[in-house]
Amino acid sequence: MTPAERHWLIIAGMAAITYALRAAPLILPWRPIDVRIEQRLRYLPPALFAALIVPSLLAPAGTVQGGVRLWAGLLGLAVGWRTRSIPVTILAGLGSFALLRWLVP
Amino acid sequence: MAHRTTSTEFWDGFLQSLPLWMGVAPFGAVYALAARAAGLNAPETIGMSVLVYAGSAQFAAAALFAGGAGALAILLTTFIMNARHILMSASLAPPLRRYPALSRAGAAFVVVDESYAMSVSRVLGGSGPTFLVGAGVSLYLAWLAGTAAGVAITLGLARPGSVGLDLVFPLSFFVLLLPYLEAPPERIAAVVAGGLGLASRLFLPGPWYLLIAAIGGMLAGDASASRGPKVTRKRGAAAE
Repeated sequence: MTPAERHWLIIAGMAAITYALRAAPLILPWRPIDVRIEQRLRYLPPALFAALIVPSLLAPAGTVQGGVRLWAGLLGLAVGWRTRSIPVTILAGLGSFALLRWLVP
Repeated sequence: MAHRTTSTEFWDGFLQSLPLWMGVAPFGAVYALAARAAGLNAPETIGMSVLVYAGSAQFAAAALFAGGAGALAILLTTFIMNARHILMSASLAPPLRRYPALSRAGAAFVVVDESYAMSVSRVLGGSGPTFLVGAGVSLYLAWLAGTAAGVAITLGLARPGSVGLDLVFPLSFFVLLLPYLEAPPERIAAVVAGGLGLASRLFLPGPWYLLIAAIGGMLAGDASASRGPKVTRKRGAAAE
């Protein structure tokens, strides 16, 4: 299998899974979902976001990595905390990355 | 609502969702930048938006592609990240039962957070799936337009990773995380997941850190909420 074929197979699988999750309750005979599961799923988004943030910021390649990338990331987090705007936060992070790269060769 | 035509309902949903383009289209562009930085080519990046249409799951998939994750990890992550759609569709299902299966099957494709938020009260009020479809199609176009714009930007860059574009993941998810941190159980879920995620990223092979951290954090949040539900709820409400 070529890498391109592999990418498209994964994308097709993601599409099938996502559609099945959206369509199942609307197409299959409906019954209320287990209350316990529903309750636990409430805490999934914050857990998932944190699980995505911390490793990719501190250890993008599996080992702790400091330097310009980390400082730019932390500056971006501070701006995100203040502004709560995704575009502004990204601009701050990428802008400080470029600036620090230029200052610290 | 009997006098209202189907086409009016559709365009109401479509037009009332236009302000949300402001949030959806830039997010689509950001996804495209991240996917391109992760090594997906332009057709793959756009194809994922056309076929999947799920912002945060596409984002996570791009992050996993960047980390060299396997197919199973990406598909499992997609399942976990979109599991909430089952709950959303389930809540819409009872009033839509009397509509044809085909229109329900079509509406299901556009059940996303924003279209659901726009239309849930109308659907539960018995006005059918058309407004939801109008809102969903509108936001789908915004998502595709944003993705295309992001891809257009990356075509001008030789190596997207070299300008720090991989910072787009943690920074965007941080902004999405912030509203959850006001309630203590959600805060505990995030802290536990962050710690577990870092530890398992450092000490375990492969991309399973994401699933371990997400499930561990979710269970920790749930456990802390059921230990003292009244106190935490009150504090959460006061913080908001």
